[in-house]
Amino acid sequence: MTETIDVGLTGVVGPLGRVVATERKPNTPHEFHFWTALDSPVGIGTIVRVEGDQPVNGQIPEIYGIVVEGFSYTDLATPLHDVLGHDGTPGGASLAATHRAEIRLYTAAVLRQMPEEPLQPVPMGRVYLATNDDVAVALRMDGYLRGEDSTGIPVGVYRAGGTDAPIYLDADFLIGPEAAHLNITGVSGLATKTSAIEWILSSIFAHFPEKKGSVAALCFNVKGPDLCFLDQPGPIDEADKTLYEKCGVPAGPFEHVQYFAPYKPDGFSLNTLRSNEQLLGNVSSLTWGLREVLQYAEVLLNKDDVDAKADALIDFIRERVVDRDFSDALLGNKSYRVRSFADLEEWFKDVLSAMETRGNEGWRTHHVATIRKVRNRLSNISTRCAGLVTDDGGVSDLPFGSFQDRTVYVIDVASLEEAAQDLIFARVVTKLREHLEKRDLGVNHVIVFVDELNKYAPNDGQETYVRKMLLDLAERGRYLGLVLFSAQQFRSQVHRRVVGNSGTALYGRMDPDELATPGYSVLSPAVKTKLATLEKGQLMVRHPHFTQPIFVRFPRPAVMRGRDGAERYPQAVDVELDAAVLRSLRTLDPSLTLGWVRDTIGIREDEEVIRARNATLRERPADVKKFFQSQLRPVAVTHTPVRPMAPAIRSAPTDDPYGF
Amino acid sequence: MSANQPSSLTATQADASFRAAVRLLASLMPDAAIATGSEPPLESLAQSSEPPRTVDATIIEDGMMRSHRVFEPPIAQFAAFLDGTQVSRMLHCCADGTPIIHGTAAAVIRERRNKRLYTRRHIVARRLYANRRRVPDSLWTSLAESGISLRDTADEEGGQGPHPFASRDAAIHRLQRDREDAERDLAKEWCEREDRPLLIDGGISGMESVARSSCAVGVIKSHRTLYAERDALVTTFALKRGERSSVFRVEFERRTPVASWYLRLRDRAGTDPMWGLVRVEVAHPDRVDERAIGARADEVSRWILAEATPVSLPDGRWDKMVYGVRDCEEFLRAVI
Repeated sequence: MTETIDVGLTGVVGPLGRVVATERKPNTPHEFHFWTALDSPVGIGTIVRVEGDQPVNGQIPEIYGIVVEGFSYTDLATPLHDVLGHDGTPGGASLAATHRAEIRLYTAAVLRQMPEEPLQPVPMGRVYLATNDDVAVALRMDGYLRGEDSTGIPVGVYRAGGTDAPIYLDADFLIGPEAAHLNITGVSGLATKTSAIEWILSSIFAHFPEKKGSVAALCFNVKGPDLCFLDQPGPIDEADKTLYEKCGVPAGPFEHVQYFAPYKPDGFSLNTLRSNEQLLGNVSSLTWGLREVLQYAEVLLNKDDVDAKADALIDFIRERVVDRDFSDALLGNKSYRVRSFADLEEWFKDVLSAMETRGNEGWRTHHVATIRKVRNRLSNISTRCAGLVTDDGGVSDLPFGSFQDRTVYVIDVASLEEAAQDLIFARVVTKLREHLEKRDLGVNHVIVFVDELNKYAPNDGQETYVRKMLLDLAERGRYLGLVLFSAQQFRSQVHRRVVGNSGTALYGRMDPDELATPGYSVLSPAVKTKLATLEKGQLMVRHPHFTQPIFVRFPRPAVMRGRDGAERYPQAVDVELDAAVLRSLRTLDPSLTLGWVRDTIGIREDEEVIRARNATLRERPADVKKFFQSQLRPVAVTHTPVRPMAPAIRSAPTDDPYGF
Repeated sequence: MSANQPSSLTATQADASFRAAVRLLASLMPDAAIATGSEPPLESLAQSSEPPRTVDATIIEDGMMRSHRVFEPPIAQFAAFLDGTQVSRMLHCCADGTPIIHGTAAAVIRERRNKRLYTRRHIVARRLYANRRRVPDSLWTSLAESGISLRDTADEEGGQGPHPFASRDAAIHRLQRDREDAERDLAKEWCEREDRPLLIDGGISGMESVARSSCAVGVIKSHRTLYAERDALVTTFALKRGERSSVFRVEFERRTPVASWYLRLRDRAGTDPMWGLVRVEVAHPDRVDERAIGARADEVSRWILAEATPVSLPDGRWDKMVYGVRDCEEFLRAVI
């Protein structure tokens, strides 16, 4: 009997296909084939349910599968027959009174079998489009979507036919502790990777269960203005609003965002695209001094340069010189307290000078050549990382210890040199780890987002400190609540242990060359084709609970896109020191004026003014004017002596025009 | 009948499939030699009994056999296609060589909607064919009690002969009649309920009510009997693509007279004079009006020429077979 297929919002009433198997194409426990009507809504990625005809152990088997391949053919034995049939005239085909018999044959990968035991080849049966409930069962989401105990985090909406089902990731497998980490791959320029991360962070902030603790995100903005306007609203259309509603995620920008950026080499202009004065309220400087940097000297120093001897000297400086009262017979009675690169430079100069004076080749087992080399390399750091590393030792850091729940911290490193980026990444992640180990970070979980992972954790090239850190984070971070969300264009070029430890993997539109690499061999040609042609806002999701990749749609993030933000809030032009100081201090006291700043700083040296400005920003005093002034050394008022006019020796007679 | 009405399966309540019949016989005669299913269909072994011949038919258009070019362009007017098929296999041979044959007769109407063909109704009938008088009583009774439909072939032409081949041929003839009955039932039902044209694979003169219906058109591909002799035969063989012969009357004893003509669907290729040649049968008019019958032949020829595409490849008879008939055959092959 012909059954009516009614595809409506409630799903399909009747079957849309039938399972079919032949000796050449048999069904297995993991794969089956079915045919449909020509106009059925089935496509690659569609989830279907098979109802068997024969009960197994008293239960009618139900098999859930996802379409991974499709075939279409007619009763023609060879294309030549069609050519002959139309006398080689393609236009004649449309005149044919009858369309040839044609088949739509699909191959589906099994997602789940009910009952799960005994595991048998998929039986013949009717094929239905999966309903919302079917999707939940097929993807085993029923195991973690349990009312108030739900640990589901919406990742998007699965859409096929009349089915519109939100797809949830399990927070235990996304944030930990069961599994963790997320990796996203996709070609550049389609705004998929960044948008997906922003969307998922919104989703996590909206759905991460309270009982599992607090969660914050730390994002490294490594290119352009991508993450610079997360707190600004962006336009979304009605379709996106529907997706937000389906997923139960507020369609708005992030409520709590803190930005951090180092200064430019001038020391007073923030090195970020988010430097527009209107947005500086939540932008803080990121500056480190000698002590902070010396702990991560390994990141910045070339391994070929820093041998065991140099390493020993650096350890000596770190342990015995920095932030301690240091004196030595070689240096006479002079006492040193090294707090900054400037102090260190003075210390090196005195040590080498004393050695030269005495003709010593070594000092405290360190050869003069080693001392010279270490001086050279360390002094160079403040030059290479100017703006981040301060000569004066001033520190402005992330709020380790007081991280806030559901807050995004963005460090803009886009304009920094690679060495400075590495230094920031190494130190920040290490500090996060230390605080999470001690449970005093302020939150229980931190999601660290790193883009361009194939640059920081490549699968070839020499071992770097950053790659070691990423490996460590990927392999052990979940036990601490330190979760890595990473993105890259070419997954095949990322270290296997980093992507391999990502419990959840997302794929946007892929480059065909990338899809040709061995890592994608498990995907069918049709799935690869779909991946290579995915629209914006579509993702393929792999998750520990899903036995097969699933295609979902996600809404455009409701935040201002980087490009739009850069146009609407243009980067502040570089200004003179007094204007830069005003711009910084105005975030604390809007009543300040340029005139007051000019009068206050007067003719003082730039370094002194910057030091005072940094101290003020760090301290955030109630009375900004007073505090800033207090940080400046008093200037003695000078009076220029007025030279008295010397009287003339002899006045010329008024009636003597010749001067006699 | 609406398009969504179920197709019927005219068969006995018992499972009458070949395998079921094999299982039944094996249970009744555990030691007997039963077919394994690998035997070829008897239709492929039996020789056609109809000798090739020519018949001098009465020409009812032009007074003599002439060729007529069908000038108007082809137009697809057939609403449905009807075809039937039969398959028979030897199931068991009794001690005296009398065969028990499993036969399946089937027919289908495939209706065209939006250029696609859908099953309007189909009939599949599976039976056992044997000479009642030569099969042991106990076996016949057991088979009858099993619920499988039995056909006694004793009264068929040659069915009484002792030679096993005679019994076999009688069974095939009986099965052929069953197939024709199925086709007739479907055609009759169509003609009673529809005005739209139905293309029937084969002649229509054997079905009286159908042969008198204006909506039934028979298309015959085989030419064991040619309705032309001498010059008329030459004229017929000389037809070019898109040409038809004059209309003639086909009448046989116990059959309804029909109007018929030859039509060349495709240009002759090679040496076969009957390449692409079909014979068309339509209802014979009550009163022969040459102009009207010629116009009717042109009209129906245009309909048939429209069915020349898509070609019925890879079927070997693709030069004469319209695609709708091939589709019926494919359907029947799938269900029997």
